[in-house]
Amino acid sequence: MRDLIRLAYNAVAGHKLRSGLSMLGIAIGIASVILLTSIGEGTRRYILEQFAQFGTNILSVVPGKAETVGIPGVLGGTTRKLTIDDALSLQRISGVNEVVANAYGSARVEANGRGRSVFVYGVTPNVPTAWNFRVRQGAFWPAGDPRRGAQVAVLGPSLKRELFGEENALGRFVRIGGSRFRVIGIMEAKGQFIGFDIDDAVYVPVASAMRLFNLTELNEVHVVYAHAGLADRVEREVHRVLKARHNDTEDFTVTTQKAMLDVFGNVMNMITLAVGAIAGISLLVGSIGILTMMWIAVGERTQEIGLIRAIGATRQQVQLLFLTEAAALATLGGAFGILGGVGIATLLRLAIPGLPIHTPLLFVALAVAMSTVTGLLSGVLPARRAAALDPIEALRTE
Amino acid sequence: MIRLEKICRTYQLGGQPVHALVDIDEHVEPGEHIAIMGPSGSGKSTLLYTLGCLDRPDSGSYWLDGREVARLSDEELTQIRRHLIGFVFQSFHLVPRLTAAENVELPMVFAGLSRSERRERVEAALASVALSDRIDHRPDQLSGGERQRVALARAVVMQPRLILADEPTGNLDTTSGRQILDLLDRMNDEGVTLVVVTHDPTVAQRADRVIVLVDGHIVRRLPGRDVVATANLFAPPQSREAPG
Amino acid sequence: MTLADLFRFAIGSLGGHRLRTALSLLGMAIGVAAVVALTALGEGARRYVIDQFASIGTNLLIVVPGKTETTGIPGMVPGTANDITLQDAEAVARQIPEVDKVAPLVVGTEDVSYGARRRQVPVVGSTQEFEEVRKLSVVRGEFLPAADMERGRSVAVLGQKVAQEIFLGEEPVGKIVRIGGWRMRVIGVLAPRGVQLGMNVDDMVLVPVGTAMKMFDRRSLFRIFVQVRATADLEQAKGKVIRLFKERHDGEEDITVLTQDAVVSTFSQILGALTLAVGAIAAISLTVAGIGIMNVMLVAVSERTREIGLLRAVGVGRRQVLAVFLTEAALLSAAGGLLGLAVGWTAIEILVQVFPALPASPPPWAVGAALALSFGVGLLFGWLPARRAARLDPVLALASR
Repeated sequence: MRDLIRLAYNAVAGHKLRSGLSMLGIAIGIASVILLTSIGEGTRRYILEQFAQFGTNILSVVPGKAETVGIPGVLGGTTRKLTIDDALSLQRISGVNEVVANAYGSARVEANGRGRSVFVYGVTPNVPTAWNFRVRQGAFWPAGDPRRGAQVAVLGPSLKRELFGEENALGRFVRIGGSRFRVIGIMEAKGQFIGFDIDDAVYVPVASAMRLFNLTELNEVHVVYAHAGLADRVEREVHRVLKARHNDTEDFTVTTQKAMLDVFGNVMNMITLAVGAIAGISLLVGSIGILTMMWIAVGERTQEIGLIRAIGATRQQVQLLFLTEAAALATLGGAFGILGGVGIATLLRLAIPGLPIHTPLLFVALAVAMSTVTGLLSGVLPARRAAALDPIEALRTE
Repeated sequence: MIRLEKICRTYQLGGQPVHALVDIDEHVEPGEHIAIMGPSGSGKSTLLYTLGCLDRPDSGSYWLDGREVARLSDEELTQIRRHLIGFVFQSFHLVPRLTAAENVELPMVFAGLSRSERRERVEAALASVALSDRIDHRPDQLSGGERQRVALARAVVMQPRLILADEPTGNLDTTSGRQILDLLDRMNDEGVTLVVVTHDPTVAQRADRVIVLVDGHIVRRLPGRDVVATANLFAPPQSREAPG
Repeated sequence: MTLADLFRFAIGSLGGHRLRTALSLLGMAIGVAAVVALTALGEGARRYVIDQFASIGTNLLIVVPGKTETTGIPGMVPGTANDITLQDAEAVARQIPEVDKVAPLVVGTEDVSYGARRRQVPVVGSTQEFEEVRKLSVVRGEFLPAADMERGRSVAVLGQKVAQEIFLGEEPVGKIVRIGGWRMRVIGVLAPRGVQLGMNVDDMVLVPVGTAMKMFDRRSLFRIFVQVRATADLEQAKGKVIRLFKERHDGEEDITVLTQDAVVSTFSQILGALTLAVGAIAAISLTVAGIGIMNVMLVAVSERTREIGLLRAVGVGRRQVLAVFLTEAALLSAAGGLLGLAVGWTAIEILVQVFPALPASPPPWAVGAALALSFGVGLLFGWLPARRAARLDPVLALASR
């Protein structure tokens, strides 16, 4: 085996420029595949991480059934509305830790002579526990009857800075959509969620928000359960409880975070695969290059082939020799391609910090395997041609 | 060692049939030194390749070392070429990118011998042709004579019992040629059967027996020492000497 | 050496090694085919989206409640205090001369039933103007009646699929259906239209806007569609609408006015960029093919060293030798490019058969670029070998093995 590799290496090294160019073709192919799939994988992980900010044992309930429209909640308004009472009823399901009722809208928030149009989230005060959000200063309003909404607000840090600068904001008043709210807390900075700036928002009691926006029902209810194993059971219970409360009609949609992430993950995987396949076309072209060069090599080394057949090499051994050469060329090229691809990916990641790039070891291993297989496949035809040579004809060649 | 019975071989060249060998009958005892002579196109090389199991006759039988070659599979023939036969060619046929040592060890690589075994034998083979100081040179760094000696070392490295040489001195000057022939003679003395194809009578005279081929037929046989003196070698003999 | 001779000589050399030539052609062809097919796909998607939007008219302004500076997508989320009302809609129609028609919109989801059969469908409340503004038409009966917006009559127009599902073979016009708790008389059925702007026209029910507002207990409209008379007036009309709402809403700009143009152009840009990216990725394979051609040409040069020496000895100049080899390389890649175009086109044809809805056709710039690229690649990658050939010393060349 080692001899085979030695002989193959010898043959490859014998024509440095030629072999180098063949390897270059494969290298470019593999490099682009690695680079692009890394970007895809990086994006997938980035978005999953963003979602994970909220914790993963969450399911959400929205009014309206997904089938008719496709985007639940856009049209809203059905027989029985999704109410705060509905949300409270879900709290009683065993395994459920927190239930957050949501009603939101956008409004102008003014204070200190300044104003901004931002998202207003009407929520229940268990948001810090449920969503992994912390309050930097002050606190959320006390747990009480969520059906009554006090005129209090918790500001996101960006909004606070916009309106109050460095001044203390606790105890001050803001006008939201014309109504006065007292600031009782400031959230800690969370950053972005897929492009949305979460810090540039304001949190008020859900009932206050519903009043503000004239809403007759909630936009969404989040249910946080104890651990992943309970997911299916909690989902079933939520369906059962709400259906019973809604005239036995299922006019709401329950989505588990997991289901959503699965769908998303699948979509991203498909995209990554598609992009990788497109890049793989260059790999195909590279392998045709190897096929061509190997074919030429067989023609050039006809005498040599005749000789080794004369001194005792079997047809299989000749075939194996050329197959190994092709595989060696491709694998070496692939190795360079991996280095190149990973190198560029790392450079990009350093240069553009926000760019999501990740190269899992699996991809590297797959790339190596792919290049070896490519080489083997490219080598089949030339190897067979070599093995089929008649030794005498070969020896007669000038 | 070798027995040929009614060997015939015809092949196509540009649409015309060429009768390379017609009804060849011959045998060679182990340890003999045979020379095959004839004008160009007489079928000498074809006969040699047939003996070397590289070419199959169209009809007739060839027994090598007691086995009938026609019945053997490609695998078995390859084995024979590996272990039993050594080839020496007119144009050396060395692999240009391998060193002398690597060229010599080639047959052993395909035979599956280990590195250490091979090393020993390579050194011995090159020593026997007096080339120990050129072990790592490439063919383009060697003279013609040295190249042929490498080829000879390669031919004997598997210790074959039959050496087939096709115009071994054809591309060499007189001195180098003589060196090669002396080496071949020495191997013959050690018991290796030797068959040499040549057009040069001074080469043929070293043989025990000479076979003359013209147009695919054996036209005469004579002892090696008589070759130089004989005129009209390629014409059928006028004398009543029986084929021997 | 005339151009014709040059070509003939080159073709002769290439023809001498058919498999080698064929393989090089194949490599280039695959690259070009990939570029052509993929850009066609991208372009098809882009055109599909544009056509979708065009089908609903281009002189459209969409008034959406709410304005937000933090996100780029207005109207996804309800706004505050000031609703957009029917009166607002009427004011737009009356007070802005550039405006041709105004259609208010209220939406909800409700069960529609006839006898034993029922379906949960989107219910859209609007006016007679909706027909023209959204380019709809009826196949049976008639559209919503012209009426005072605020009064709601108990009539409904059904989408094609809804009508089929709940009436099966029966004639729907004139029958009474129940929508939620309301009894409504069917006065028309819409022509089949499919999905338009995210809404499945065949699977919805149209009622007068006043009725819908009562049904879903709304005071504010979901959207207002404004059709402007002339495309040229679009920007001006948009400005006037915003000012009008500001006046009516206590000086607050709490609405967003979308022009279909802006949305279309955003999509068009995104998809355009995507197509370019995909094309570029495919073009990498062209580079690889070029490397392959260079390799093959280098081998050819070394094989034909004697021949080159002979040419030079016989009086062929350096430049001409260069020209010969360059021509071979260029011919090789150009032929590959043409072959690739043919393959790519075939692939697109097949795609169009399978997906008739997608107007997949390669943008002319891509076709031109692919051909130019393939030719250029040949010249570029053929340069080195050709130069090598031209530089050979004739004496050495003749002597070589």
